[in-house]
Amino acid sequence: MVSRRIIYLILTLVILIPLLRPFKLKPLPMKPVENLFYYINNMPKDKALLISVDYSPDTEAELHPMTIALLKHAFYKRIKVGVLTLTLLGLGLAEDALRTVVKEFNERAKTREDSIIYGRDYVFLGWQTPPLVPLLGMGESITKVFPVDYYGNRTDTLPLLQQIKNYRDVGIVVSISGSAIPMWYVTYAQTTFGVKVGAGFTAVSAADYYPYLNSGQLTGLLAGMRGGAEYEELVEKHFGKTKRRKATEAMSSQTTAHIMIIILIIIGNIIYFKQRRRK
Amino acid sequence: MKVRFPLILCLLMGIIGMVAYYIPHRIVQNFDNELRNTALRIIFAFSLVLGVGSIIRHHWEKIKRKREFWEYSYVTLISLFLTAFIGLFGGIDGKGLIKMQIGKFSFDIHTIYVNMAIPLGATMFSLLAYFMASAAYRAFRARNFEAILLLIAAFIVMLASVPPVARLIPKLPYISEWILDVPNTAAKRGMLFGITLGVLSTSLKILLGIERGWLGGK
Repeated sequence: MVSRRIIYLILTLVILIPLLRPFKLKPLPMKPVENLFYYINNMPKDKALLISVDYSPDTEAELHPMTIALLKHAFYKRIKVGVLTLTLLGLGLAEDALRTVVKEFNERAKTREDSIIYGRDYVFLGWQTPPLVPLLGMGESITKVFPVDYYGNRTDTLPLLQQIKNYRDVGIVVSISGSAIPMWYVTYAQTTFGVKVGAGFTAVSAADYYPYLNSGQLTGLLAGMRGGAEYEELVEKHFGKTKRRKATEAMSSQTTAHIMIIILIIIGNIIYFKQRRRK
Repeated sequence: MKVRFPLILCLLMGIIGMVAYYIPHRIVQNFDNELRNTALRIIFAFSLVLGVGSIIRHHWEKIKRKREFWEYSYVTLISLFLTAFIGLFGGIDGKGLIKMQIGKFSFDIHTIYVNMAIPLGATMFSLLAYFMASAAYRAFRARNFEAILLLIAAFIVMLASVPPVARLIPKLPYISEWILDVPNTAAKRGMLFGITLGVLSTSLKILLGIERGWLGGK
């Protein structure tokens, strides 16, 4: 049997080397990702995209690129964006994603019209607890659930929230989470108010979400790093090159790690069959 | 009365929670909104106090009785008090009631979040890759027919996530999607029905006072 230490050492190298020197990959967008992308892409101009950043730092590597790709897509299409979180630890990550993407767009902008402006193009609502309050409350009034935004501004004074009042004005809610929060959106927000829901989650949870996609309760989904990379591919295909594609870059490491795990399983089974024959 | 009152309260709140879904009348809806937007938040705030209280008591007891790994309880308690102090008096950016800045370095919640919460969380999650690799090598054996089926499904789903392989065998991602969309969904749906029925019956048992585990089994 191969020692555990050797497996760990090889895995470290297999992940680290492609992470430092990523190779070129071209992800093939699948239907669930395409469904989400084209739904957002064809959304009416007066509808907003609500992104719920429901993950904490432990799943940042896998889920953060999804939030960034969604924000880029929305800003390219000039879709109004509302960002919130149902997990306290998601606040910093949501703020980071917004700061990164807004900076990238505003560096390129030549006029005020081209720029992405807080309150006009996007708002960061922050965090509210318990989750049931914003999940159901936003169906009646977003400003009532979030009287002040993350930065302390009164939400009823923000131009965007004077147009986007509740779920009726929201085209789709995309919940990105390492837990079951997207299902809460299906259970409470969609069942009660009929708002469309999309989901982004870690690859290990993919199997849990397919029944909801199959039933039409989820409009589309992004599963793990691959889902994020496929979304980045679609954004680039439609709107041209973007600054960085973190999910696609990380796919190099995931690719080599997957191949290594497959090889390990094969080796493990060969040893197992040899031992069984000997017995 | 100590048992009967919480039981009546539980039944009452359960009925109120359910009724709002079936009666769209303004009075019922307004009452439900008020309950959700005000009462629920207050209860939640109390549960936070309860949570912090029990975490302090648990770790303090552990230190006092010198139970296994009691030294780590100091880390938990010190982290808890330090973070709470910085959060309460330093604010998000170190510009709260007490200035938490030394030169250009700001010792605030954001600093703790970026320099401690993010790396610690990422480290814990990334350790999974090592356990998965080791477990796949040691435990993923084609011992019987079911295990072979599982192995084949895992190979297809894993290989479909590898873009060069997916480009090489264009049908592979679609087979992977089919596995997730059809056999997986069928099994998951069956499980979901079972779980939901279980949740419903347990909820009813709690509302009717049959299940009293939450009252300390009284």
